[in-house]
Amino acid sequence: MIKLFTASLLSIFILLSPSISVASSIISGISTNEINIDTKFNGAEILLFGAKDDFGNIVIAVRGPKKNFLVTRKEKLFGIWHNGKRVKMKESYSYYSFFSTARDTGTSEQLMSELELGKNNIDFNSSADVNPEDKNEFQIQLVDHFEKEKLYLNNSHGVDFLDETLFKVMLKFPKNIARGLYSVEIYLINDNNLSSFQTIPIYVNQVGLSARVLDFAYQQSFLYGLLSIALALVVGWLANYLFFRFIGK
Amino acid sequence: MQIYLPIAEIPVNVIVILLLGLLTGFLAGMFGIGGGFIATPLLMFIGIPPAIAVSTSANQIIASSVSGLLANLRRGAVDIKMGLFLIIGGFIGSSLGVSLFQLLQKTGQIDIVISLVYVIFLGSISIMMLIDGIKTITAKKYNIVWAVKENSNMDGFLKWAEDLPWQVHFPKSGITISVLVPITLSIGIGVLVALMGIGGGFIMIPAMIYILRMPSAVVVGTSLFQIIFIACNTTFLQAVTNNTVDIVLAFLMIISSSIGAQIGNRSGTKVDADSLRSFLALLLFAVCFKMFFSLFTSPESLYLIEVLKK
Repeated sequence: MIKLFTASLLSIFILLSPSISVASSIISGISTNEINIDTKFNGAEILLFGAKDDFGNIVIAVRGPKKNFLVTRKEKLFGIWHNGKRVKMKESYSYYSFFSTARDTGTSEQLMSELELGKNNIDFNSSADVNPEDKNEFQIQLVDHFEKEKLYLNNSHGVDFLDETLFKVMLKFPKNIARGLYSVEIYLINDNNLSSFQTIPIYVNQVGLSARVLDFAYQQSFLYGLLSIALALVVGWLANYLFFRFIGK
Repeated sequence: MQIYLPIAEIPVNVIVILLLGLLTGFLAGMFGIGGGFIATPLLMFIGIPPAIAVSTSANQIIASSVSGLLANLRRGAVDIKMGLFLIIGGFIGSSLGVSLFQLLQKTGQIDIVISLVYVIFLGSISIMMLIDGIKTITAKKYNIVWAVKENSNMDGFLKWAEDLPWQVHFPKSGITISVLVPITLSIGIGVLVALMGIGGGFIMIPAMIYILRMPSAVVVGTSLFQIIFIACNTTFLQAVTNNTVDIVLAFLMIISSSIGAQIGNRSGTKVDADSLRSFLALLLFAVCFKMFFSLFTSPESLYLIEVLKK
């Protein structure tokens, strides 16, 4: 379990927050570090469990790999709908889920904002020429879209306590998650102070046949293109032959 | 029954995909259209990213067209000579169209122009075909004599086309026409195909009937013949430049659409040419009608979100 601690990240957060007390006042683990996407993949769940031996609220954030997104607003011109203004959101989390035991986030809002905890605290970057009002509008729409796709989950009641110290959380990953490195961050926040922090990586990869097809398509795209065509030609011919042979004209 | 698609990166229901392939294959075999205009939006509807839906449909169209073409070849209902001229124009047109698309995309408002042109174009063709079909069917069934316009615009055009150079006889279709007509025509359609991102068979079919005056019997086969080449070109370019062909998705659709094309072809031969033409007109009109209304009705979501490649 100890090896799951990434020491370097931890030290950064210790520097960030001078009021940190004991680093080991929260400890947790997850049921698996890997999500393997094979041809049967239809979403995944990972159990996170842990214990705390100090006061404070448990806050958990899971962040997916960053991607660039293009948000287009549909506009009406003479009664006809068309694609209007476009804003590019750079390096945004393709997945973000959030859990907290805090009923009222007001007291630690500043810290939550610094650590990008909670969907309202996620930083979005658009190009410099986008004015703040537009940025805000398009950002809200992007978050809205992610929530509909179940890629952003804001769950304030998701932490189950087994007793005073033991807790568990079910992390849910929908079927449309991106491949890459995800990080699970577990914080213990007391008032506006970060008293403990831990991060656990999750690797989301394609495996088996699915992975081989993906590699083939990207690494040997010339052959892949020819194979796709050949497959279509052969099956088309075969269907005609079989129909002619067994069903007739 | 679910299967995860490696390129589209989402799982889909196998049965749904097979049925979708069967339907587009059936249309290909019956009417000689690729069926991309139905498959692409339906694929997007079940959650396949647009770029992958377009490219993978192109791959599937090859199979249904080959399957349908071979069935037509057996009956000798393909004008290969005409098909070759259409392919030449198609390649030039789609290359021009791709460049034009990139140019228009930079200048901004391209979508609205395309949609409007499309609705007007498709709308007028389908209404013309529908009226024509109803006239012929009622004339045969109830002996109604419809007044024939003495000098239609099309006749004027055909007179003019007779004076063009490079007149070539097409024995299969039994027509003599300047090769400039099919080439220019297919360049125009090729441009539209590249702009719209879909097959173009359903523009090619009416053009063959009304402009080239080819007999209905060879229209379906000849259309399928030229579609195969255009679809192969598209599939290959998409696979190499954009990596947007999902071979697992394509394979499922290929199997069912090849079967669908055989069924469609056999159903097509049982229906007389006039009814077949009217059915196609109705189908085109329905697509046009849907497009027309989608221009004016509020979209389900006012914002469109796409993932950009890095």
